[in-house]
Amino acid sequence: MVDHCRGERPNEACGLLATHKERVVKVFRMTNASGSPVRYSLDAAEQLAAYKKIDKEGWELGGIFHSHTHTEAYPSPTDVREAHEDVPYVIVSLADESPDIRAFRITKDNWRDEDGLVEEIPVVIERLDE
Amino acid sequence: MAVQVRIPTIFRKFTNNQAVLEVDPGTVAAIVDQIDVRHPGFKQQVLTDAGDLHRFVNVYVNDEDARYLDKLETRVADGDTISLLPSVAGGAPRR
Repeated sequence: MVDHCRGERPNEACGLLATHKERVVKVFRMTNASGSPVRYSLDAAEQLAAYKKIDKEGWELGGIFHSHTHTEAYPSPTDVREAHEDVPYVIVSLADESPDIRAFRITKDNWRDEDGLVEEIPVVIERLDE
Repeated sequence: MAVQVRIPTIFRKFTNNQAVLEVDPGTVAAIVDQIDVRHPGFKQQVLTDAGDLHRFVNVYVNDEDARYLDKLETRVADGDTISLLPSVAGGAPRR
């Protein structure tokens, strides 16, 4: 995941985390369809292919990750506004030499709401090689 | 055979927690209506107030984006699968 984030600089990187029994089993490196250092978006066709793979393997969509190239690992107003999926959002900040990885739940009354409640959740890293 | 509609988690609260619905073939619009009859309020979540495809929801018929087919008038046949995908995006604050 960190490798993908570093590799996509100067643009933001994004991807999906597939989990099984609460552990990440696969990191999907996705294309940032926005190709921007300050914005990311998934390509819907790639997203569909990843979701199908997740279903086929019996995994769950455990999280969506993206990088902040220069800012802190905390959801920006844009991140909150565009948080439509109901899964943890992992943010990797590359502001410092050593990446900062934090995760959050963004809860909305209705998925289309622009505002939501941001609550940090713990990240447990067992291995740093993916 | 029927048409399968894959429902993302954010819409499952509107479909009695079902992840896959089986519907009769028809246009995307007719299928959304079919689901709305069974699960009132569903249509309002998936379409805009004006009844168009919502920009936050990607509708795929098999592996094709309905926006590039006939949008809500896209015909969906027996055996096809519709996947509803919420758009995923975000961005850092501009400093």
